[in-house]
Amino acid sequence: MYKLQTVHVQVPAEHNPNANLPNRENLITATMASKHLATSIRRFFRKPPAGTTLIHRHSLSTAAVAAAIEPLEEDSNGVTMKGVKISGRPLYLDMQATSPVDPRVLDAMLPYYLSRYGNPHSRTHLYGWESENAVESGRAQVAALINASPKEIIFTSGATESNNISTKGVMHFYKDKKRHVITTQTEHKCVLDSCRHLQQEGFDVTYLPVNPDGLVDLEKLRESIRPDTGLISVMMVNNEIGVIQPMEEIGKICKEFNVPLHTDAAQALGKIPIDVDTMNISLMSLSGHKIYGPKGIGALYMRRRPRIRVEPQMNGGGQERGIRSGTVPTPLVVGFGAACELAMKEMEYDDKRIKALQERLLNGIREKIDGVVVNGSTEKRYAGNLNLSFAYVEGESLLMGLKEVAVSSGSACTSASLEPSYVLRALGVDEDMAHTSIRYGIGRFTTEGEIDRAVELTVNQVEKLREMSPLYEMVKEGIDIKSIQWSQH
Amino acid sequence: MGSLPGRSKVISLFRSFLKTTRVYMDYNVREYVKRRTIDAFRQNRHLSDPSAVASAFNDGKSQLSVAKRQAVVYYLYTPTVNCESVNVLHLSNNWTIVLD
Repeated sequence: MYKLQTVHVQVPAEHNPNANLPNRENLITATMASKHLATSIRRFFRKPPAGTTLIHRHSLSTAAVAAAIEPLEEDSNGVTMKGVKISGRPLYLDMQATSPVDPRVLDAMLPYYLSRYGNPHSRTHLYGWESENAVESGRAQVAALINASPKEIIFTSGATESNNISTKGVMHFYKDKKRHVITTQTEHKCVLDSCRHLQQEGFDVTYLPVNPDGLVDLEKLRESIRPDTGLISVMMVNNEIGVIQPMEEIGKICKEFNVPLHTDAAQALGKIPIDVDTMNISLMSLSGHKIYGPKGIGALYMRRRPRIRVEPQMNGGGQERGIRSGTVPTPLVVGFGAACELAMKEMEYDDKRIKALQERLLNGIREKIDGVVVNGSTEKRYAGNLNLSFAYVEGESLLMGLKEVAVSSGSACTSASLEPSYVLRALGVDEDMAHTSIRYGIGRFTTEGEIDRAVELTVNQVEKLREMSPLYEMVKEGIDIKSIQWSQH
Repeated sequence: MGSLPGRSKVISLFRSFLKTTRVYMDYNVREYVKRRTIDAFRQNRHLSDPSAVASAFNDGKSQLSVAKRQAVVYYLYTPTVNCESVNVLHLSNNWTIVLD
């Protein structure tokens, strides 16, 4: 798929600051041809010095800025950050927050940072033409994954921007005739915030409640549609609890009432099969960094038949059909396209594997401890997202003990605040259970060893906390906690 | 299309993939390359149609060049600390390069 091109690089020794490094060409031919890749690399590179090294992540900024940012101290014994010391990098089980870039995606992107750095909108020279070709093939790759036409894909800076263009752009365009928006209580923050902004402008918004398993009630949806409803927005796979909404049924209802359907498919892309025609989707937000692509790129799918119009949120030179002006970032688009193509090829393989890993995780935890509740529907869920609540355990202390595993409680957007997640509140989960919820994200690169270790760490921490908890003692003796009259002092 | 790859060529392609995993410093990527190679070769084991065999072999060769290039890139940018994930300090194989 990506051909290796011979690169002739002549770096004269006197201009080369790393004069002890050999000619690049030798290195590349040696590594390609050598039978012993490892020894050739070892021979060519010197090992970095041992001992303590302070790594400033923002080494190009001024000294003042660097002083304000806490440097990450790494030494040969481990990593210390924010007062916590661990002996290596934690296991990454937070795939819903972001995912690592797949090496094949990085390989596709690098040429566009190194030599093919043209602006795709330059029409007069080779740099522009080759960038434009790359952008168009990226567009086709993204469109193929959702069964759309490349003409219907607009590149944006991420799913948040696409959500903003969809909600505010559609309603502003049709503001004379349509004044009502329907969305759910478990949507992503950016959709809810855009709807609140619309409310302040004078539109009506209905926030549909969800069932305790996280799915939208189709009857309530049907009842809340009015003649002046301009948009229905339901996210396909929830980022916190992982439930998959019944998009085909919702699409049928929207078609019946002729209301455009917008869905935030950032978590669903490349993980479950998406077909915009069978689901009757008019607008869809896509994100690059959730499918092992680069951060900073997303896309908006806009249906052409029947055409949906939006008012642009970014004015400028008219790029991307006038809907999103601004230079299209070629390397990010190429990376996004490569990630989508990979996702199409690997979807079945990854899905099978992730389902097995999820079962391993859940069974491993349930074997050792009780009082574990899965938040959200167990059948209609994406396997890579497992949101568990542990009874009689305090959430903050559980997370403090799980520093060797990178997991999240609540979504990354809301984990800064102390409130329990609004999604769990919408599900009707008790506040104490909502506080102890942990979200495990399993992805393409997760291994069995990591799952087993995560199970071990979680079980240890939960048992330790429960041992210290007087509430748990009372429960074991058979006292019903809810019937206790706590005395006032 | 060229001549069909013989059994020995296929096996040497397989071995080359696994050799790149000696260099990958990132635990997750290393395990993924190993696992995916084994599963992909296993899946294509019973291909008999010559054009399918040739296209799978060529696909494998191009993926191998991607893997080799990225092995160098990942090596260049390894964090200087013992970069294994926490759990695998006891799981890592003996033939991993560990920087000290």
